[in-house]
Amino acid sequence: MPADHTARRPPFLGHGVGLRRDHFERVLSGPTRIDWFEIISENFMAAGGKPLDVLGRMRDRYPLVMHGVSLSIGSTDPLDERYLDDLVRLAERVQPAWISDHLCWTSVGGHQAHDLLPLPYTEEALGHVVARVQRVQERLGRPIALENVSSYVAYRHSQVPEWEFLAEVSRRAGCGILLDVNNIYVSARNHGFDPNAYLEGVPQDAVWQFHLAGHSDKGLYLLDTHDHPVADPVWDLYAAAVRRFGATSTLIEWDDRIPAFDRLEAESERARAIHGAILAEAAPAVVA
Amino acid sequence: MSTAFGLKRAQTFFWDLITAPEGVRPGFEAMLRRVEAGPSDLDQLIEGDERLPAADRLDIYANMYFYRLLDCLREDYPRLFEACGPDRFHNLVTDYLLRHPSEHPSLRHLGSRLPAFLENHPLGRECPVLADLARLEWTRADLFDAADAAPLTREELARLPQETAGSVRFALVPAFALLRLAHDAPRLWTEMKERAKAQAAGEGAGAEPDGHEIHSGAGMAAETCRLHAEGPAVDLPRFPRRDTAVRVWRRGFVVYHRAIDAEEADGLELLGAGEPLARIAQRLAAGRSAARATERFGRVFQGWIDDGLLAGQTESD
Repeated sequence: MPADHTARRPPFLGHGVGLRRDHFERVLSGPTRIDWFEIISENFMAAGGKPLDVLGRMRDRYPLVMHGVSLSIGSTDPLDERYLDDLVRLAERVQPAWISDHLCWTSVGGHQAHDLLPLPYTEEALGHVVARVQRVQERLGRPIALENVSSYVAYRHSQVPEWEFLAEVSRRAGCGILLDVNNIYVSARNHGFDPNAYLEGVPQDAVWQFHLAGHSDKGLYLLDTHDHPVADPVWDLYAAAVRRFGATSTLIEWDDRIPAFDRLEAESERARAIHGAILAEAAPAVVA
Repeated sequence: MSTAFGLKRAQTFFWDLITAPEGVRPGFEAMLRRVEAGPSDLDQLIEGDERLPAADRLDIYANMYFYRLLDCLREDYPRLFEACGPDRFHNLVTDYLLRHPSEHPSLRHLGSRLPAFLENHPLGRECPVLADLARLEWTRADLFDAADAAPLTREELARLPQETAGSVRFALVPAFALLRLAHDAPRLWTEMKERAKAQAAGEGAGAEPDGHEIHSGAGMAAETCRLHAEGPAVDLPRFPRRDTAVRVWRRGFVVYHRAIDAEEADGLELLGAGEPLARIAQRLAAGRSAARATERFGRVFQGWIDDGLLAGQTESD
């Protein structure tokens, strides 16, 4: 009988940031205002050297979450077994609170795009993704979480909105959802849907984590660049997400034009304040 | 459900369009000419509108595909980028990605075939030292996260019985490589580093970082676009052919390299092949008096120990 990898909402870790090389020394040299860190899995699939040294020291100090970018869960290529071996090895080393990747495809015909390419939301894609998530979860011996990506195209033959597809993948495969609030906002602007409808369409108990990041306004579209502070409309959407999903581990991503660490801490503190205020608002209603 | 685009066909078509070197629209027109697509396929696959037609939406991915990989290669080959200048590097990467699209889930491996590719590329034929510079840079990048190993110390060496020392075989640490180049690329590398250091001092900039962030969490990276800026014309370096052996190694978290003479290179090669110490001493002694040979072997071998090249004893005869 296959193991039960049904997604159970993991414990609330608090407020984290993505660990980036620019901040290694700062983070390891003293206390921070950060509760937990997310690592990009692929950056630590190394045989040795500084990446693994940093990883070891981080693991001793903070809860860690592994976030991948190359699982290519929606690709029609076979799952990359060598990649899965590396992921399993890394998980054994890190003992992460959970493991996540993206609901997308990144490769086809054996070639890697190194980009998070959107899927058509069809019954065929759904069955394909669900089977592969189940296979990955078997390899890892635990459920994973999948993140919604920013997108600039929509497929004409998609049959359901993205949020319904994401929810159905989670339900059928028993995986969690990493809800990227900025990605919802970027895609909503690019495709003209209501971001609040997205939040309403995602089951409350399936969401393990939120991502927040900055984007760039290119005039005709928004681009998910992770090189700015979180935009005000995204903070508003985050507040709506906390109202809907309750206490949810929240992470700030900043990948380009990376500022001093205290700037990230300030963004994380802002998320903490919004999260705390909304939960405090909601508390009496829960008691009643 | 019945659609013209099954998942595999949709992904293959998408991929072909975003990686077409001339861009999405010309790429699609070329596919039509080759009868690999129908005239309505693009609009049947991707929803477009007046604001952003389907081809423009795919162009966002096409641009990011190229510039993300260009940026990665620029990070792996900073000196090669500087030696070529932005325009030549851009064209080199365009040709390289057409011939060697990424096949590994990690971007870390993207540049592994660039030195060999460059050697046979028109740019490499025009300026042959560039391929050797690329070899040196790739090896340095490759050793940055190679496996760790505790290096053999002087104290451990001193404990070896003198009478059997000649039959001892040592292993090299995993973070070691020996290069045999056709040009003095280390000299070019040093000249460029000194120039960069002087420039940075003038601008008040800090030291160069070790390694770089390979993957980011963003689907798209804005940083990549900065490379597209036109740079000043760069004169290619002119280095005559000169056989040069280089040892490259990592000590702690820092990668080093040093040009060495042919005898030391042969000695390291023999050591890496598992030959005993006596055979290595013999190679290093070639043509020298006994006293000079002893002095030479002692100095070279001590250098290997001090630089942490030896991982330990493997076996004795």
